[in-house]
Amino acid sequence: MRTASLMNTSTLLWGLALGLVVALAGCDHATEFEGPRLIDRFGDFAVLDTLTASQETVDFAAGESVVFMAQFNKQVNWVVEVVGQESGAVKRIEGFSSTLTAENAEWEGRTTELPFFKEEPVEARLFVPEEASDTSRVRIEVLATREYEGIVVADFEPDSDVDIFVGNFEFEFEGAGISAEVPPAEGEAFYLLRGTDDVVNNFFVGLIDITPGGGGFFEVPTSVPEELYFNVFAYSFGTPNTIAVVQLIADANGSGEYEDGQDAVFPIIDRPVDWEGWQAISVPLSELLDGEITQAQAQEIVAVRVLLISDNNNQPMPPLPVDFGIDYITFTAGAPLQL
Amino acid sequence: MHPLLRTPLYLAALALMLAPGAFAQDAPAPEEDGPGVRFNGYGRSLIQQTGIGGTILDTDTLAVETLADGEFLLDLAVNAQPNDVTEVQGVIRVRNEFGGFFGSGVTVEVRELWARGIVADVLRYRVGDMDVALTPYTLYLPEADGVVNTPALFRPLREVIYHDEFYTGFNERRLQGARLDFGLEFEQGLEAADVRAFVARLRTTDFFEVPNRFIGGGRVGATSPRVGPYDSQVKLGVNLAYTWDDLESGDVDDGIRNAVVSVDGDVTVLDGDVFDLHLVGEGGRSAVRRELAPVDDDEGEPPPDDEAFEEDTDTFVEVGLAAQHEPTGLGASVMVVDVGPEFYSAAAQSKRIDYTRPKSVFDRVGAARDLRDVTLFDLTRDPALYTFRIADQLMTYDPRYGNVLPYGRATPNRRGVRLGLAYAPTGGPLDDVVAAALDVALLREIRGQGTEELKDFVLVRAEADVDVGEAFEWQRALELTLGTQFESTQRGGEPVEAVDLTSLLFEAGVTAEVYDRLDVLLGAKLRTSDGRDYLPIIEDFNDVQDFSAPFVTDDSESLVGAGLRYRFREGIYLTVQVQRFSYSADAAPDDDYHLDQVFALYTMNF
Repeated sequence: MRTASLMNTSTLLWGLALGLVVALAGCDHATEFEGPRLIDRFGDFAVLDTLTASQETVDFAAGESVVFMAQFNKQVNWVVEVVGQESGAVKRIEGFSSTLTAENAEWEGRTTELPFFKEEPVEARLFVPEEASDTSRVRIEVLATREYEGIVVADFEPDSDVDIFVGNFEFEFEGAGISAEVPPAEGEAFYLLRGTDDVVNNFFVGLIDITPGGGGFFEVPTSVPEELYFNVFAYSFGTPNTIAVVQLIADANGSGEYEDGQDAVFPIIDRPVDWEGWQAISVPLSELLDGEITQAQAQEIVAVRVLLISDNNNQPMPPLPVDFGIDYITFTAGAPLQL
Repeated sequence: MHPLLRTPLYLAALALMLAPGAFAQDAPAPEEDGPGVRFNGYGRSLIQQTGIGGTILDTDTLAVETLADGEFLLDLAVNAQPNDVTEVQGVIRVRNEFGGFFGSGVTVEVRELWARGIVADVLRYRVGDMDVALTPYTLYLPEADGVVNTPALFRPLREVIYHDEFYTGFNERRLQGARLDFGLEFEQGLEAADVRAFVARLRTTDFFEVPNRFIGGGRVGATSPRVGPYDSQVKLGVNLAYTWDDLESGDVDDGIRNAVVSVDGDVTVLDGDVFDLHLVGEGGRSAVRRELAPVDDDEGEPPPDDEAFEEDTDTFVEVGLAAQHEPTGLGASVMVVDVGPEFYSAAAQSKRIDYTRPKSVFDRVGAARDLRDVTLFDLTRDPALYTFRIADQLMTYDPRYGNVLPYGRATPNRRGVRLGLAYAPTGGPLDDVVAAALDVALLREIRGQGTEELKDFVLVRAEADVDVGEAFEWQRALELTLGTQFESTQRGGEPVEAVDLTSLLFEAGVTAEVYDRLDVLLGAKLRTSDGRDYLPIIEDFNDVQDFSAPFVTDDSESLVGAGLRYRFREGIYLTVQVQRFSYSADAAPDDDYHLDQVFALYTMNF
């Protein structure tokens, strides 16, 4: 009896000890290394494979894309910069890796800096800003440009199906109209608003009303104001004291046509033109500057009005000319127009 | 309640329910003296002069080459026992810096306040300042860097540091709060159990961005009766250390939640007159995360999508055998260690040395007024580098002084074996003559840092005390002290990933009593390091965010000294010493320098 008791106790003791070990030894630790790779932080940099492209020509309109490929000996911050040889468009693809593949270096025809690419030759170059690396280049021919999302209101191309009314102090316009004075953001033309508020000093230089060709409503991809985005490309010549105003005009009297003074006006852009070159501006209709647009009104937009304002509070006397350009007015659904 | 907190609390409650008898552990010693008021304390007078020289000063036109300072310091403890079960003590520190003009350099401060007593002859309590330690993985003060077996020559200045930083010698941390403990005796099943609980505030809020920080926890221990032919016995304990920020204090966005729970055990497999064998170990788990402060808005805010707010959990285990051969005084142990890379225990991993603090002397030297690296000279004598506080995250370390286990046994990301040998014969001709110990650690990283390649570590520490006077039965004491530490860190891989760092620390000392109570002290500390490693830059408690430039060393330093010590009585002595420190780096001979120090220190404990 005593022997059995001792054996039980001994078994208990060893069981406790063994249980302790087994319970605690089942350690499952993270084993993926911590911190940045040492070779990335401190290793010498070398290009193992210079930049190549998956194809020499590309038809973006057909859904094709270009994959850039290269390889380094370590992970680095790299940049592939694609520049249109005629348009001057720039697409910049950036990443942190040791290889460029379809996962991180695919170009689908979009642009980073306006204008859009044209059907033109482009040159892509690869460089590593943090390293004194040689730049490698590759040339590609764009056969057809990308078709962007959304519904085009006006792109001011010759085949654009809109009517443009120039009015209200239009005598202060000087040289306004469809232009190619600078490379357009899209296509071959944009609309230039330029003039001097030196006849009637009221800040107002001139406007254009853009209406659908033959009247009616502009087509929109959605009527939900929170989902519906108004997009426009605006060009600044760097001219001081220029203010751009854009208004959406919805049918208020049920006529189905634009009637100045009778329809509802919704300011959507009212800002100084204080940047350089082309800039994309996107605003959801739920963020109109003055009042709210209803879902019904969003389906009945009869005109887009663009105004050129001279900031006379800051103008010298006599006032100087002011100007800006617009191009590629679109509506998109769910998100701003992705360049 | 955090899941890690439940187990120890349940065990404590269960122990209370089952215990037929309870008693207060370690009743306050002063009770034996009876009620009354007593005065005791610690005093010291230190005057020292330190000079710098060497090639580093050739281009340094700004350095002051000699510094002299000193102080008289008195920690007066007023201890009162209003009755047999209550004791209170306050320590008033009066410090006079030499050179203060007619008392302008005098400071008076309260250094310590506490009260303790026994409730109903069962429950022992203490409030105010207290020293607490649990286990090396939960709440513990790891050993200092640059020390193996301090020669007697360097102990006086080390005692100054220890006293000022509340280092008790038992790896306890000084905390301010409250503590309860009691013991339980059982008639069957268990022999005894003990319960300890504490809570303390680690820091106060600034009412803006720094919240109050607390630590709480305790231990529930149980001891089985001795059974069987070998007097087998099991001792088990459950430990908890929980560090948290009070997010209601100040205007803070978030704070720490760090829970560490462990189970430790000591199984006496064999307890004989000749041979003892124990199975010992500890294992547990940690969890750490940032907790968002509550927001006033009823809807609240969604938690940020940030890794810093994710909870990191990991485990550790240390288990092995320890044996003791009584006739020869030889002990041996072998332990298997596995401490996870995400294991974080703020109260066990905070170091004694804060390498980011400014040094008291010659903090910047050279033409560029660069910060001087911490050296053996500073580690030996500068209290400004030491701290008892619990850090916000894993602290910076210097791989030349401790690269294998920079955070003590709780150093995360280590797996391997530790071996220990100890020799301290009792009885026979070597009784009280020789004491020696050898510790070896063969460890490897579990998770790479900056690479999949893993570092391999070797640590060898050896120490010995030899009482030559005792061996030859001389009337005067002659004691030798030796200590050495060798560390190696290796990693393969690409050349940029490779690590190869070795360092050697050697200590030797002689204490010779040449006249009644008058000792001659000789001592030396040497270090040399060679190789390269990468030091991680830590953020969010224990995450490796980056690496500073490769740490490359090829330098050596030596600290040698001699002095006299007169022992007036136990705890009261005067020592006068001369020390010279030399630093040289092969890669930068223009930065070589030396420090010369002369000091006189009178210390009394009364």
